[in-house]
Amino acid sequence: MTSIALRNLWARKLRTVLTALAIVLGVMMIAGTYVFTDTIDQAFDEIFTESNKGIDAVVTSKQAVKTDDAQDPPISASLLPEVRSTEGVAAAAGGIFDPQVAIIDKDGDPIGGNGAPSFGSSAQPRRFETLDYEGRAPRTANEVAIDKTAADKAGFELGDRVTVAGKESARPYRLVGFASIGDVDSFGGASIAVFTLPQAQLITGKQGEFDQIAVAADDDTTPGQLAANLTQVLPKNVEAETGEENTQSQKDDVGEFIGFLKTALLVFAGVALFVASFLIFNTFSITVAQRTREFAMLRTLGANRRQIVRSVALEALLIGFAASVIGLLLGIAFASAISSLFKATGIDLPSAGNVIGVRTVILSLAVGTVLTVVAALVPALRATRVEPVEGLREGIVVEAPGTKRLRTAIAVALTGLGLIAMLGGVFGVIGGSGAAWVGIGAGAMFLGVALLSPRLVRPLASLVGLPLERTRGVAGRLARENSVRNPGRTAATAAALMIGLALVSFVAIFAAGIRGSIDDAIDKTLGGDLILGSTDGFSDIPLTPVKAVEGVDGVAVASPYRYTQYASPDGDGYLSLVAPATAADVLKLDWRQGSDQTLTDLGPTEAVLDEKFADKRKLEVGDAFTVTTVSGRKINYTATGTFKDNTDFIGDYAASDVNARAYGEGQTTTSIFIKLDEGADTDAVRSGIDEQLKPFPTIKVQNQQELKDSISSQLNTLLGVIYALLALAVIVSLFGIVNTLALSIYERTRELGLLRAVGMSRRQTRQIVRYEAVITALIGAVLGLVLGVVFAITISRPLADEGFTLTIPVGSLLLLMVLAAAAGVVAAIGPARRASRLDVLEALSYE
Amino acid sequence: MPNEAIVSATNVTRVFGEGDASVKALDDVSLEFPEGRFTAIMGPSGSGKSTLMHLLAGLDRPTVGGVEIDGVALNDLDDGKLTEVRRDKVGFIFQFFNLLPVLTAEENIVLPLSLAGRKPHRKRFDELVEAVGLSDRVSHRPAELSGGQQQRVAVARALLSEPAVVFADEPTGNLDSKSSEEILALLRTAVDDYGQSVVMVTHDANAAATADRVVVLVDGRIVRDEPATSPEQVLDLMKQPA
Repeated sequence: MTSIALRNLWARKLRTVLTALAIVLGVMMIAGTYVFTDTIDQAFDEIFTESNKGIDAVVTSKQAVKTDDAQDPPISASLLPEVRSTEGVAAAAGGIFDPQVAIIDKDGDPIGGNGAPSFGSSAQPRRFETLDYEGRAPRTANEVAIDKTAADKAGFELGDRVTVAGKESARPYRLVGFASIGDVDSFGGASIAVFTLPQAQLITGKQGEFDQIAVAADDDTTPGQLAANLTQVLPKNVEAETGEENTQSQKDDVGEFIGFLKTALLVFAGVALFVASFLIFNTFSITVAQRTREFAMLRTLGANRRQIVRSVALEALLIGFAASVIGLLLGIAFASAISSLFKATGIDLPSAGNVIGVRTVILSLAVGTVLTVVAALVPALRATRVEPVEGLREGIVVEAPGTKRLRTAIAVALTGLGLIAMLGGVFGVIGGSGAAWVGIGAGAMFLGVALLSPRLVRPLASLVGLPLERTRGVAGRLARENSVRNPGRTAATAAALMIGLALVSFVAIFAAGIRGSIDDAIDKTLGGDLILGSTDGFSDIPLTPVKAVEGVDGVAVASPYRYTQYASPDGDGYLSLVAPATAADVLKLDWRQGSDQTLTDLGPTEAVLDEKFADKRKLEVGDAFTVTTVSGRKINYTATGTFKDNTDFIGDYAASDVNARAYGEGQTTTSIFIKLDEGADTDAVRSGIDEQLKPFPTIKVQNQQELKDSISSQLNTLLGVIYALLALAVIVSLFGIVNTLALSIYERTRELGLLRAVGMSRRQTRQIVRYEAVITALIGAVLGLVLGVVFAITISRPLADEGFTLTIPVGSLLLLMVLAAAAGVVAAIGPARRASRLDVLEALSYE
Repeated sequence: MPNEAIVSATNVTRVFGEGDASVKALDDVSLEFPEGRFTAIMGPSGSGKSTLMHLLAGLDRPTVGGVEIDGVALNDLDDGKLTEVRRDKVGFIFQFFNLLPVLTAEENIVLPLSLAGRKPHRKRFDELVEAVGLSDRVSHRPAELSGGQQQRVAVARALLSEPAVVFADEPTGNLDSKSSEEILALLRTAVDDYGQSVVMVTHDANAAATADRVVVLVDGRIVRDEPATSPEQVLDLMKQPA
């Protein structure tokens, strides 16, 4: 029986290759994901381990709020003598490590960007220096060392003048060294500029402050004791960790991000494999059906049921394993492709040589092989039901009638339960991870609709096929009839495509909603004419230029605006810090209680609240509430007004920026909103502002429309990545169409011969196949779009309170339909050619 | 002879395979089929009768020699033109798999016209369906028809476009005797009443006796070519060696 399985694989090369290809792609994504994330992991490990080399303990500020930008507030330089005099300390040095310094290239643009940090750091005394320098470390305030990658990107050589921007005006430095850490090839998109300590403090706006103090223990003290000693003497808002602990906690921070990335990529890989399993199932179902006679013949010759199951399962095992091996190998190459994909969208991640773990190898091979065998098992078991006598009969095994009703019941139940799981996940009603429930729900709905779809094939084929039939005559008619001939087969093929399209359309709808709500938020709340923000769209900008910009002719108001985070026992949240005197000119609030005057009068411990926040905390005007800022300071605010903020622009409350320092935003601001004088010439004012911003290359000026466009383009970049990853699932499903068509054509050889004999041209033959592919693709598209809309409606429900307005982008969805049809045409190229090249006589061979 | 040849084969040879393994299925056969006549081609298995029919119908190409249908030399035609000749000038009736299972009887009958993008002449269609006795079955699918009915649909399809010639390949080979008689009677009527030219391959002497003329092939050569009179005479023709 083994040799029969092998011969079957060989005899049906095309089918084998196509089935295998589906698995190859899925496994490739899994292996690629692991290699990719392991590689990043390793690179970060190396960076952090190296950067704490020779350091026994690290003193940093204690972060009271876990912020998105993960920048700890600095600690006072006055702690250094205290640290030095602590028992067990041999040496200590303060250092700066600030993620918001920009190296400017020769065109005047910051290097890197797109959220990757650009560090400004201080050269350390020899004992604590963790960087290696090609050239040397900076020794004077006019010298800088930068990393080699950044230097290469901008074409800087040692001795060149390099401009670096920080909190103060950008200024040029002499490049004296290239800095590197260990064996790390690349910091990813991140760059580093190293200055002398005083210059580093100056450029980062941290005069009299450090980001951390590195401590070395004397010979009699262990790092653990050292950290304990330090903790005892240091104030509460400062913490001391051993070097190892510090390395670990840095790893953990990054690990969280990598973990998220890994999960996201694995979800996409899972989708591709899920789709691939449909293809495997379908292919084996069809071929087993076609081989009914063969099995029956084997049975008559004395093969028992187990031998037949084993033969089919072995076939699956061989395909699955071989495909998994290829997928694994391709996955290693694919890791670089993922990296390039991210790089292309500006998200550059560090690397230090590909890491191929044993776990990656085992998991990839196991998943691919097991999935193939399991997907083939149902058809294999069905094959055993072949009675020997059926070998003598014409035609294909018919499904037992009883299973159909059961199948529909299961399908409906699965779809319903899936929707419930999804809703439960969305509203957090069920315990556990909401996202996981949404995923499980989506999976169940896919399966449910896929099981149900054989019943939907006929009406849907009529719906999408009728226009073809009307315009394309008999070829269209035959295509439609062929597509409903074996509804189960068409359904499984279409369902595979449905999954990809459902996700694509869901993402498209969701993105349209987000775009709409961002535009809405800007329209409704932003009163300023111009907005100053970071060129990368993420980072904070220095506060320094506010004065200079205010002085520009035609500028009425330049108002700094900070969006930041707070902590409280009742939950953490976001808030806005505004400059009370000018805030009312640049922000339009929909007041419930209070007025713009309330905003103008805002005292240091007064706040105006978002109505939703007030309701949630049961706060009235006049009530007090306490929050903890990032620096650990507790502020007790009194509510002086409430407003309605559907789009959640402001956050939970708005307060005066006199406390900005406590929120860790003393020197920086999220944006600066500018209001122009009545009747001012916008272009003239803009060039005036541009002039003032020359020393600040990290700041850009935008009007409201430009702001919307730039947010939208960032969103598009993200969408691009998601679509690229989903494309794999869609491609796998196209293989499914090719496979099904090829197998169907094989079955209909004699019919095709007859058609050709009675006068069907090759062109018409190709048309029939092509239209069948288009109909199948469109059935998948319709099901997919409907599911996508359902997903979008369900998942966006809780966001409705936050200004998310669901808009169905009809144009995009129609475009998706057209693309699906086009994909069908592409999938049909091979099979159509084959069909049209059939030798009429051979096809007719009845003698 | 008042009748012009509607189909003719001139010195046709068909060799299958190459070198030592080659088989000469037809060996220098020349034959003319006058318009409005019913010809039966007979011969034992492997005599080349089916190969001859395939060549005459433009389903295959001769190794040597030429075939003409209704004044068109098939040798010069590419696949597309050849397909058009089959569609417009030839009607086919096969033994099995005559009909597309997904189309109704009516759709099967008008299939060659649909493929050509033409509409059937309604009156002709109705007459024909009436003649083959399927008036009340036209909307049925092949699976809902008996073998004899299916074959009558095939006959109607072959006749509908009034082709230059109808080729029938063992049209009764799969039918009971009553259905066979009906099919043969239909073909006979088409020839007598409408002047249709019909070429039928068969090994059934009774069927061959319905024709006007019997051509007997043995080993790729014509050994007999005589008017048909009765089944007994046809059997005799078959028995006599060349």
